[in-house]
Amino acid sequence: MVAESQTMNLWELPTRTEAVLVGFAPALAERYRGRLLEFGFHTGERIVCQHQPGFGAPRVYRVSNATYSLDRELALQVLVSVARE
Amino acid sequence: MSRVLLVGTPNSGKTALFNRLTGLNHRVANYPGITVDLSMGRLSTLPEHELVDFPGTYSLRPISEEERIAVDHFAKALDAPDVAHVLCVVDATRLEKSLFFCLQVVRECRQRGKAVTVLANMGDILARHNLAIDARGLAAGIGAPVLVVSARTGEGLPEVLQRLASGITSEASADPIPEPALLAQDDESADQALYAEAHQLAERFGAPADQLLLIQSRLDRFFLGSLSGGLSFSLIMLVLFQSIFTWSAPAMDAVEAAIAGLGSWMLPFLSEGIVRDFTADAIFSGIGAFLVFVPQIFVLTFVIGLLEDSGYLARAALICHKPLRFFGLSGKSFIPMLSGVACAIPAIYAARSIESPRARFLTYLAIPLMPCSARLPVYTLLIAIFIPRETALGGLVGWQGLTLFCVYGLGIVCGLVVAGVVNRVSAGEAQMPFMMELPAYRLPALIPIARKSVQRAQHFVTKAGLVILSVTVIVWVLGYFPNQGADLGASWLGTIGKWIEPVFQPLGLDWRYGVAIVSAFLAREVFVGTLGTIMGIEGAEDNILPLVEQVQASALPLGSGLALLVFFAIALQCISTVAILAREANSWRLAVRMVVAYLCLAWLAAWLTFQIAAAV
Ligand SMILES: Nc1nc2c(ncn2[C@@H]2O[C@H](COP(=O)(O)OP(=O)(O)O)[C@@H](O)[C@H]2O)c(=O)[nH]1
Repeated sequence: MVAESQTMNLWELPTRTEAVLVGFAPALAERYRGRLLEFGFHTGERIVCQHQPGFGAPRVYRVSNATYSLDRELALQVLVSVARE
Repeated sequence: MSRVLLVGTPNSGKTALFNRLTGLNHRVANYPGITVDLSMGRLSTLPEHELVDFPGTYSLRPISEEERIAVDHFAKALDAPDVAHVLCVVDATRLEKSLFFCLQVVRECRQRGKAVTVLANMGDILARHNLAIDARGLAAGIGAPVLVVSARTGEGLPEVLQRLASGITSEASADPIPEPALLAQDDESADQALYAEAHQLAERFGAPADQLLLIQSRLDRFFLGSLSGGLSFSLIMLVLFQSIFTWSAPAMDAVEAAIAGLGSWMLPFLSEGIVRDFTADAIFSGIGAFLVFVPQIFVLTFVIGLLEDSGYLARAALICHKPLRFFGLSGKSFIPMLSGVACAIPAIYAARSIESPRARFLTYLAIPLMPCSARLPVYTLLIAIFIPRETALGGLVGWQGLTLFCVYGLGIVCGLVVAGVVNRVSAGEAQMPFMMELPAYRLPALIPIARKSVQRAQHFVTKAGLVILSVTVIVWVLGYFPNQGADLGASWLGTIGKWIEPVFQPLGLDWRYGVAIVSAFLAREVFVGTLGTIMGIEGAEDNILPLVEQVQASALPLGSGLALLVFFAIALQCISTVAILAREANSWRLAVRMVVAYLCLAWLAAWLTFQIAAAV
């Protein structure tokens, strides 16, 4: 069986689903992209959405050994791919 | 004397290390023009070395003004001849996020021939979970010595001091790197290479931290869950609020009683007359009026310190971010604003934790509008005078309670609206998106938090004391002369009251209210006592009933009463707040502008209220 993958933005990623970071939307400002890279958001890195607090609050993502919280505006600009059986 | 620079990413334990290495010998300096704290302290065991603590940043490429200043100062300091050594702190449990910055720092140092040592902090946590990093491999990879340390237990720190004492500077200069300095260049491909390098090093030499993150994730599931998160948030905020309101009350009473006791012990030694009056009313009441804030500042700093150190503060910020962002504020504005409902002074201190200068500025604007507890005696008096003790809806709501609720709500709404409007109309750095590292949950370290709370209380006494005392003396002189305090109405203060009567006349108020409002600049609750004195009633602050009856008998219109309520809800009338605001924002201009703007706004809103009440 060949694993297909589906690309989505980080905000769409359901909780506790592992995804692989594939890139950033071109609209993302350079300095924020830089900061995400410093946090460890690299292409090919595994990323998991750990919590989605209600009411549109920023969500919690695990990258490598650290957890970060990103708001919708930013998470929309991060593109990930999820393996689909 | 030589300087040692301490740098690191946020949450790597840099502050804890700094405190551990310097003991109590440190002072805090600010960068000119902006409040970025720069702590300096002599190493407790090597007093010929001064440790300089730079604000934590994720990179030498700043994304905000605040970071830029920190990075610029670091670059300057690196060039200074007296800087011998740089200590770069990384979080050993989360190497990945620290290593990019660490590699940047190491390159800068080697390029400039400065010795650098990497401190892999939180060693105790690794040990507790039977984990380890490969410090030797990491050192080889980074190109600088790596020492595993713990700011909690002190593990590894003797080696650090040994390195500093031996003055190792040769290794760096012996091995200079020809590449250009990172600080000067802006090359994407160089950055990319560095990201990749940091990533590889963390993978190869770091410790797997799944176990640590599992615990954190479980706690997050609770604290960020829809129901459990909401409940725990409310409960924690209730405790925080109680801490300022109720827990510090006994200490505040004790301070007041002690000062009153000292006064009554000392005053009999002074002969009757101006010296005695001055000592009693200006010195003792003046000092008393501002020393009562000290317990509040201590308790609030302590409780917020507990929340911060436990890791919860970051979660609270996350929960509050969305609604506050609408007004240009940040999630971190919530705690300062909530504190402001008790007292603006500790609230202004609490705003230090907001990194974004713009969100901090907007929070400063909102705090003085929060309905602080000093307004309560004024509200109580005015409501007792003007609002009947009747109930509506079959006894379900009392008009007095409802009025109090509305005037509290008015303050909060005004605070948010002012922040929102200023955010929209003022130019400046655009709002940054929310991107925050969630620190691990930890048991708070009590002693450093207590120490910080004491320092903050000291800061208040030393920085605001003089201003508050000066204003107290001025108001006392105005009220005492020219007739030796015999009649407040005939004093200079009374004259000023009459002089400014036209200002308050449109609100239906005469000069006596003007005098009481002017004296309320010492602290809002002074309004009650002064109004009593002017109307010939002593001790109105303890028993308001005679004053209530007298004002009611004077047939002051309801509109004037409501106008006064609205005026007090908005006006920034607390000299202690103004003094601390000017210090913390590093701008007297801002503080003075806020006083003027809120006075005008308060007057306008009060006038409008009076007009509407007259029309209805
Ligand atoms: N267990 C443990 N906790 C630490 C250590 N160093 C710092 N901490 C805790 O880590 C948190 C962040 O530390 P802090 O010094 O404020 O970090 P900074 O942001 O780098 O200044 C606090 O809760 C500290 O108590 C350590 O070596 N071991």
